Amino acid sequence: MAPGVVAGEERARRGLIGKTISYIVFTAWALITVLPLLWMLYSSFKSNDELIRDIFALPHDLFANRDDEYLVIPPALNVILPYDPEVDTRERLIIESATISPGRRLMLHFLLKEELPPELARLDPGDTLKVSQLPLRLRVKVGWATIWFNYLAAWTRGGLGLKFVNSIIYTAVSTFLIAFLGLMISFALGKMPFRRLSTIFLALIGLGYLLSIQSVIIPLFLMLSSARLTDTRLGIIVVYTAFGLPLAVLLMTQFIRGLPDSLIESAYMDGASVFRTFTAIMIPMSTPVLITVSIISALGIWNEFLLVLVLASSEATKSLPAGVYSFTSLMGTQLGWQLAALVIATVPAMAVYLSFNKSITKGVVAGALKG
Amino acid sequence: MNKRDSRALRTYLLFVLPGLLIYLFIVAYPVVYSVWLSITDFNPNRGGAWNFVGLLQYRTMVEDPYFRHALKNNLIVVAVSVFGQIPIGFALAYILFRKLIRAGAFYQSMVFFPHFLSTIVIGTMWKRLFQADGPVARLLQLLSGDPSAQFDLMLKANTVMYPIGFALIWMYTGLYMIIFLANLQKLDTNMIEAAKIDGASEPQIFFRVIVPLLSGTVLVCTTLAVAGSLRGFDLIFSMTTQGLQRMNAEVLAIFMYRTAFQDYRNPMRFAYGAAISNIIVVISVALILLSNYIGRRLRAGEEY
Repeated sequence: MAPGVVAGEERARRGLIGKTISYIVFTAWALITVLPLLWMLYSSFKSNDELIRDIFALPHDLFANRDDEYLVIPPALNVILPYDPEVDTRERLIIESATISPGRRLMLHFLLKEELPPELARLDPGDTLKVSQLPLRLRVKVGWATIWFNYLAAWTRGGLGLKFVNSIIYTAVSTFLIAFLGLMISFALGKMPFRRLSTIFLALIGLGYLLSIQSVIIPLFLMLSSARLTDTRLGIIVVYTAFGLPLAVLLMTQFIRGLPDSLIESAYMDGASVFRTFTAIMIPMSTPVLITVSIISALGIWNEFLLVLVLASSEATKSLPAGVYSFTSLMGTQLGWQLAALVIATVPAMAVYLSFNKSITKGVVAGALKG
Repeated sequence: MNKRDSRALRTYLLFVLPGLLIYLFIVAYPVVYSVWLSITDFNPNRGGAWNFVGLLQYRTMVEDPYFRHALKNNLIVVAVSVFGQIPIGFALAYILFRKLIRAGAFYQSMVFFPHFLSTIVIGTMWKRLFQADGPVARLLQLLSGDPSAQFDLMLKANTVMYPIGFALIWMYTGLYMIIFLANLQKLDTNMIEAAKIDGASEPQIFFRVIVPLLSGTVLVCTTLAVAGSLRGFDLIFSMTTQGLQRMNAEVLAIFMYRTAFQDYRNPMRFAYGAAISNIIVVISVALILLSNYIGRRLRAGEEY
């Protein structure tokens, strides 16, 4: 055999080994990414007892609720009503599951007596009833509420709906302000005269890129407390905006300096004012960098935690990460609820990631390489 | 002429000032405030009265065993990032770049995915997975056949950093992979082809051609990793339970938070906390300068 053939075979063999190792590494990584998330997702449909019994088993109890037995219970202090009894005075039958966490006042349904057949409405605390006895509409309702038990608990008890809204407000408003104010500054620094002043401003703002919110969280907290801005949405948004500006200005100034001067000059020639030039030329021309900046800012703010942890003392101003954190630490024994809260916080991020994978990846790289 | 200039200046400032003022007030001023705080004994409960105490806070810090412990843990995190995430990220990016596997786009998005999720969610998830009787423990039981096996690494002071290091690598390697991949794709492929024709093997191509070409990217990633690790708060905070476990895994940022916002018995908690956060900034700037210096020295030794 010629030596060249041997070398070729040797090379092919090595290539095969390399390929195999590559596949093993990447497949293992993908599994370590997917399996925990998958476990989290399906386990969030399991009751606590099921999670303790077998942590890997598929959900069963919450779905197989057709013949569940319920116990009628009297209203008491440990029964959390999902309605305001002062406003809504309609009579209700409170029933508790006899199979899922019985006696712990967790799995409850509040059935309007007017919707029940008279023989059921007459039931007293201590009596039992079966789901199959209920009229179809209520049976379906109770069935769904049982399947989504963990989610309903996380949503209502953790107040995740409000936190979701807060997160969206913080992210949207701050990102908009960062992009808008950043572009204004960058337009001035990049395309207006006063070069020396611009260099100073740019250096000053660029220094901020070395800092993060947590490097000055203590003075920020003291300042905002004396301005009575802690625990307000405004305070949180202002801080996010200020800390988003350095990277935005660095990226945008660089981009705008790369745009041809002739564009702006011709706009002036046509008699456009500076503001008109800004809105009609700068904003559309800067779309690529605006998208990059918005992606980086929005991602960072959506996931930010420490500022909200320190500033938001009431539930009304907490964002989703802080809400999920406090809910999961308080509900230490309710693993099912915790998992549901985690899924609620993950799903929107996952949906956005899967639909804008390419541009998000590009944006993150652009932002990272600036540093 | 002069009038036109002043009008132009006014427009200029009109564009710069709104953002700049917010920045100066929220980012720049607190830096000064923080330095001032750290050399006083400011106590808001005393009605904000304060005395100048010099470097007292910094001296307390150096002698504080909790500070040393947090610094040690933080250096472990830095080491995991620099010597774990970056090389692994580089290797993964190289595999994708050379198209050694099919469905590269799928694998790429899988590895990058954790970076995109909320750190708090990730941390809480791993906390549950790593519980003494959680899914990982159950997996150990199934694999070892010992039904009483427990996953106790999170519970012991001297092993708690292992699962945390694992989660750190899992979470952030994707970022470095993406950065390396973006820079690899900018490379001139002729060079690799030429090396191949000259008979270079794959490892030779990697170490002799690719690595030197990307030394700049390695430097950027090192800077990012150092800065990020010293800021790191969310993941370790949410992976551990408040109390002894969090103390065991404490890093500087958590130490600062605990001092300033949880240690109510310390009358100088804000001043001491400010000193800690100033030191975090100083250490991270020093480490970044050091890695830049080493990078430059290494590159100076190269032929081009």
